[in-house]
Amino acid sequence: MIDVMLYLGAFLLLCGSAFTLLAAIGILRLPDLYTRMHAASKAGAVGGGMVLLAVALVCFEGAVALRAIIGVLFLLLTTPVSAHLLARASHRAGYIPNKITVLDEIQTIKKSQSGP
Amino acid sequence: MSGAAFMDLATSIALVMLGVALLLSVIRIVIGPTLPDRVLALDLLTVVALAFVGAIAIRTGLMLYLDIAIALSLLGFLATIAFARYIMTRPAPGAADREKTK
Amino acid sequence: MNLLLLTIVLALIWAAISGSFSGLNLLLGTAIAIVALYLLRDFVTKPRALRQLRRIASLALLFVYELVVSAIRVAIVVLTPNLRAALRPAIVAVPLTVKSDAEITLLANLITLTPGTLSIDVSKDRSVLYVHVLTLSTREALIADIATGFEAKVKAVFA
Repeated sequence: MIDVMLYLGAFLLLCGSAFTLLAAIGILRLPDLYTRMHAASKAGAVGGGMVLLAVALVCFEGAVALRAIIGVLFLLLTTPVSAHLLARASHRAGYIPNKITVLDEIQTIKKSQSGP
Repeated sequence: MSGAAFMDLATSIALVMLGVALLLSVIRIVIGPTLPDRVLALDLLTVVALAFVGAIAIRTGLMLYLDIAIALSLLGFLATIAFARYIMTRPAPGAADREKTK
Repeated sequence: MNLLLLTIVLALIWAAISGSFSGLNLLLGTAIAIVALYLLRDFVTKPRALRQLRRIASLALLFVYELVVSAIRVAIVVLTPNLRAALRPAIVAVPLTVKSDAEITLLANLITLTPGTLSIDVSKDRSVLYVHVLTLSTREALIADIATGFEAKVKAVFA
């Protein structure tokens, strides 16, 4: 039983680390701020959450496991909020998306309002 | 292979992967090119550090590390919020010129 | 009554985080919960959690599933050799039918953690949510996707 938990925890730990690594690769390879945000917010949250779940699985202690799970919930709640805040702040401050962006409806709406 | 030995191997591999991730996000912080890019990379850096501390907690069996990890994620969240407000108050370089030509 | 429930929940979360359910620690947690709720008194709306617990659970399950799918999708995109050909980023204005702050917040957070989408901004009159998409197929397909998926679920939770 303990062995099964350990194998499962090791699997979760490896998956979480792999996702975190992929988030870091994404933040380096993707072309602009807004696409990078996808990598950091999703892969980052899943990676960190999986590692915390692995800790919860292998600690064999109720209080510690509960704390780790609350940590996961906290991570899942805060990551989208901070990504959203950063995206909103950057767009309002005037950081424009990369040229390969096919459509930017915030820009077009602002232009049509300030037009006539 | 017993569970404990496998766990030992898994934490080693995980620590290597997380180390590379840490390095990659530091590269993004250094090359920028804009302030939000760096803030985003810092945000990811705290998540990577959280995973790192989690892996260390499993490897050493010291669950006190978990508290550090949770406090770190709190701190990263607050830092990103503060940075977002700061970015909002400062127009992007070049944004003012674009406003004029419109 | 609702505030009392919220206080108890917050005190229990405090006890869980600090790892001890002793009487003194629960008292401290309750004190912190009361202070937090007093500071946030204008923002705390009436929670109707008990009645809609099952709908919330179904939403949470869907959310976890979508989250893992989205992480895998992002991972695949990141590992594509020819990155620029795989990407079709776009910012789309999605019309909102949900109105309250809580609903919009929940929807925006769900959108951020689902495959290929990230919410950026809400228009001043709260009728449009601006969503950044990693790989756009068509604008209409995306809007229909959000309206029939998460927006319907969010509405059911708050109905």
